[in-house]
Amino acid sequence: MPPSIAKWFETNGWQPFAFQHEVWDAYLTGESGLIHCATGSGKTLAAWFGPVIEWLNENPSFNSAETGRSKGCKPLKIGHLKPPHDAPPLTVLWITPMRALAADTVDSMQKPITQLGLPWTVGLRTGDTSTAMRAKQNKRMPSALVTTPESLCLMLSQRDAEVTLSTVRCVVVDEWHELLGTKRGVQVELALARLRHWNPRLRVWGLSATLGNLEQARDVLLAGKSGRMVAGVQNKRVVIDTLIPANTYKFPWAGHLGLVMVEVVAAQLDACFDMTRTDAGTALVFTNTRSQAEIWYQALLEIRPMWAGELALHHGSLDKSVRQYVEDGLKSGVLRAVVATSSLDLGVDFSPVGRVLQIGSPKGVARLLQRAGRSGHAPGQVSRISCVPSHAFEFIEAAAARAAANARQIESRRLIDAPLDVLVQHLVTLALGDGFIPVDVYPEIKTAYAYRNLTPAQWQWALDFITRGGDALQAYPEYKKVVIDAGIYVVRDTTIARRHRMNVGTIVSDAMMEVRYANAARLGYVEESFIARLKIGDAFTFAGRTLALTRIKDMTAYVKPAAANKKTVPTWGGGKMPLSSELAAAVRKILQDFKTNKAQEPEITAISRMLVAQQRISRIPDSAELLIEQFESKEGHHIFMFPFAGRHVHTGLAALLSYRLSLVQPATFSMSVNDYGLELLSVTPFTLNRLLLDSIFSATNLLDDVLKSINAAELSKRHFREVARVAGLVFQGFPGASKTNKQVQASSGLIYDVFAQWDEKNPLLAQSTREVLERELEFARLTEAMARIKTQRLTLIRCEKPTPFAFPLMLERLREKLSSEKLADRVQRMQMVWDD
Amino acid sequence: MQTALFGDYLSPPASKLETPVCSTTGFSSDYSQVNKGEALAYVAGEWLVLMPEKALYWPRMRTLFAADVHVGKGTAFRAQGVALPEGSTDHSLARLSTCIEAKQAQLLVLLGDFLHNKDATRSSIQAKLASWRAQHAALSILLIRGNHDLKSGDPHQALNIDCVNEGEVCTPFVLNHHPQPSSAGYALAGHVHPAVRLTGRAGESVRLPCFWFGADVGLLPSFGAFTGSHVIKPKRGDHVFAVADDEVVALHGKA
Repeated sequence: MPPSIAKWFETNGWQPFAFQHEVWDAYLTGESGLIHCATGSGKTLAAWFGPVIEWLNENPSFNSAETGRSKGCKPLKIGHLKPPHDAPPLTVLWITPMRALAADTVDSMQKPITQLGLPWTVGLRTGDTSTAMRAKQNKRMPSALVTTPESLCLMLSQRDAEVTLSTVRCVVVDEWHELLGTKRGVQVELALARLRHWNPRLRVWGLSATLGNLEQARDVLLAGKSGRMVAGVQNKRVVIDTLIPANTYKFPWAGHLGLVMVEVVAAQLDACFDMTRTDAGTALVFTNTRSQAEIWYQALLEIRPMWAGELALHHGSLDKSVRQYVEDGLKSGVLRAVVATSSLDLGVDFSPVGRVLQIGSPKGVARLLQRAGRSGHAPGQVSRISCVPSHAFEFIEAAAARAAANARQIESRRLIDAPLDVLVQHLVTLALGDGFIPVDVYPEIKTAYAYRNLTPAQWQWALDFITRGGDALQAYPEYKKVVIDAGIYVVRDTTIARRHRMNVGTIVSDAMMEVRYANAARLGYVEESFIARLKIGDAFTFAGRTLALTRIKDMTAYVKPAAANKKTVPTWGGGKMPLSSELAAAVRKILQDFKTNKAQEPEITAISRMLVAQQRISRIPDSAELLIEQFESKEGHHIFMFPFAGRHVHTGLAALLSYRLSLVQPATFSMSVNDYGLELLSVTPFTLNRLLLDSIFSATNLLDDVLKSINAAELSKRHFREVARVAGLVFQGFPGASKTNKQVQASSGLIYDVFAQWDEKNPLLAQSTREVLERELEFARLTEAMARIKTQRLTLIRCEKPTPFAFPLMLERLREKLSSEKLADRVQRMQMVWDD
Repeated sequence: MQTALFGDYLSPPASKLETPVCSTTGFSSDYSQVNKGEALAYVAGEWLVLMPEKALYWPRMRTLFAADVHVGKGTAFRAQGVALPEGSTDHSLARLSTCIEAKQAQLLVLLGDFLHNKDATRSSIQAKLASWRAQHAALSILLIRGNHDLKSGDPHQALNIDCVNEGEVCTPFVLNHHPQPSSAGYALAGHVHPAVRLTGRAGESVRLPCFWFGADVGLLPSFGAFTGSHVIKPKRGDHVFAVADDEVVALHGKA
């Protein structure tokens, strides 16, 4: 370690961790790698000082203990710095998945540079960076640039991108676990492939939270090349416990808001608001959805009005300035507690956070650990998170999550294989820059892990798609997106170029409407579909306020404060998260333990009444059996099954089973699912016997039957929105931006229909279906669940009334329907609503 | 009852809009113009046939109506760098031909937005249009200029399509593109691409293109194969007919 660095640590009263030394040494010998550990444990310095030390070694005049001592630790005045033209060229690219994190990262990188008196410059380039600043950077890049995957892609699309970016020696990918297995991650892989092509000695370091498949995470990042795996500080203790109310007698069996616990939660937070207690720190209250955050914020203020001004709300739909205010307030301590969604999950350092609560199930072990890591952020401290169950089953989930965390059963990220929409976008991006020659780029693309198995046929299709508008059989003279100029693939049309730049990226959001006061203060964004359901004058809750809609103009909803009692809370898009397979397995284990009287957890004791009732009326399944309950009601004939495999798997399973049953005997089924089981409701009764059960759980024709049963075309069409957007078939535009190019706006559903009718073999359609299977049905997990059920005993129990397990399923509102009726017949049965 | 209605058709009452009577069966034996899947609407004293192809036929005047064909829309998209397969224009024109032949129509009224934009004047599209026109050389065609037609310009003279602005009177109807009422008669129009949202029990929901007859204006669904739709909010007393695949279905509102 160079003396100036050693001095810097000493002056700050710190000692480098062993893993930081390991990373620096590995970096200096030219290695790449992946650093994994809990948040806030020196990962940033581990990655950042590698390139800094290398530069110090190459510039010995800056490298002495004297430098540090003479300047002390006081921030340097500008005059002390060498003029900026002495700053090293762009050396480090720091990629972060969240814009919100970028500014903080710049700060924590800049601080040691300033204190060390180095001439390095650290810059920021995200979607929020001003045009002027970007132009300045284009003239001369800072020595280190913090950016997002999207902004990096935009840089690749510029002329002379190679000149600008080939000086980069080190790329750091922060929060790699957030990008892995997503299309944004694939975009990063492609960008890295390009940077490696320009600089074969490029070193890449990833920072990641703990994952079940770390080796794979490293292989993807390093494009399959060997690299160092460095474990960060590992001795951090995590405590996971549950807030158990004094009386669980009336605890609900279903529901998801959990407001029954609001008094208990408030009592926990009291210490944080008590100014006489300096040790309490601040509190974070995590929820799973934005609407749940809004509701909890209101509920807490209702019972503790004096917290106004010290309790805040943070979620991704709030305006950036509002979020910034909350983040600053947390840091300074002005705010004592914040109700937040996953928008606060990632690395921003808010220590000291004294208390972390999780409302409802975290649905995954990794997420729970990450949220727990928000408290006791400093090395060596204990992290603690308390679960706040919103219904009885979540007591079991909390106990299961603790067991899984202790056993290090952490979720893996499933990877995406060769998404053609991302490839198509990337190729147009390359054509925008200096253009590309296919024979040169094909091997480069193949080095990206996601495309290692890309076939020549797929490659040819992608080239045809961007140059001819279709496959080799089609040729449209009017289509000139990418043109071939002396063998080089380039974009010539400036309109196409501008539109592509505006739409670079893979994040697809619903059409969002700005919410602002008439005096122009912007509060944030809500889905257009929510505003469309409101009438002028209707009140709704947003950003923690009750607002009345006054008018809608140009994708902006103007509001004024309201005191109305009748208000609705926006529900934002995005489905409910399923229970991870690790957590689901842990839940099954807990039930098994309960049966054998081995479950000692306080959570299980708290809801033993429910479990005992289930045992008495029906049965608690052990791990070698599948419980099936049958029950008659006025609604019809109910079949409940409890595979405990997570919501998505149950959705596919419910559709599959009802499809197969309806082949045996014509019927229409209503379906309902949750994380624990599924319900099939039919008017006609079914006699479930061994033979029938065996046939409906058969593994033969599984994929085919699933595709038939879920109305794959309909789901695939809905999902096609994302594929169409990434592949450049629809344009997202921006909230508030005037609607230009109206004549080339079409909904993705319409475009799907055009493809389905006239180009049904288009690989983008197949990709959409595949992504539906992978993401919405988790087909791999469904297959695993079917295989597990094959080995299980099927226990069929007839019940007189709904059991505690069945009851929540009956309350699930959204029922999917499987029907074989003709559309015109269904229309006769359905109704339209008069608008009056 | 049906005979009596049929008698009414021969001497239609003068009132603007009577309760439309619709049926998909029963008329075919003595009324050769109505086929399976079609519906009848009694509008402004005239019987109109609503076709599942999303066209409207006025038997007394042997006139076929279609709105919002948007010829050349796919081409326009491709010219802007959106890689869509061709087929929609051919399909739309072929469907128009089917309707013309099935009804032996003498006049085709296009209620605006026949051409999507200037890209429809490219030679590839012009060739399709010319060959389609040649198949129906005896047919008169009247285009009511819509907002898209105003930008793309009138179809080429050789296509022999008469072009007029909105407000053309054809008693008892006034032919428009935009859905605006007129004192000169009951307005027929397009522009909106109307669709209706239907809901059933258990969250069942479908969205279907529709014909929508209000007190003063009747709207046709968009005819073009590559056109979107807009969900309407019908008022009580309006008459809405959904196009459900190959059948036009009269709808009843929820109280």
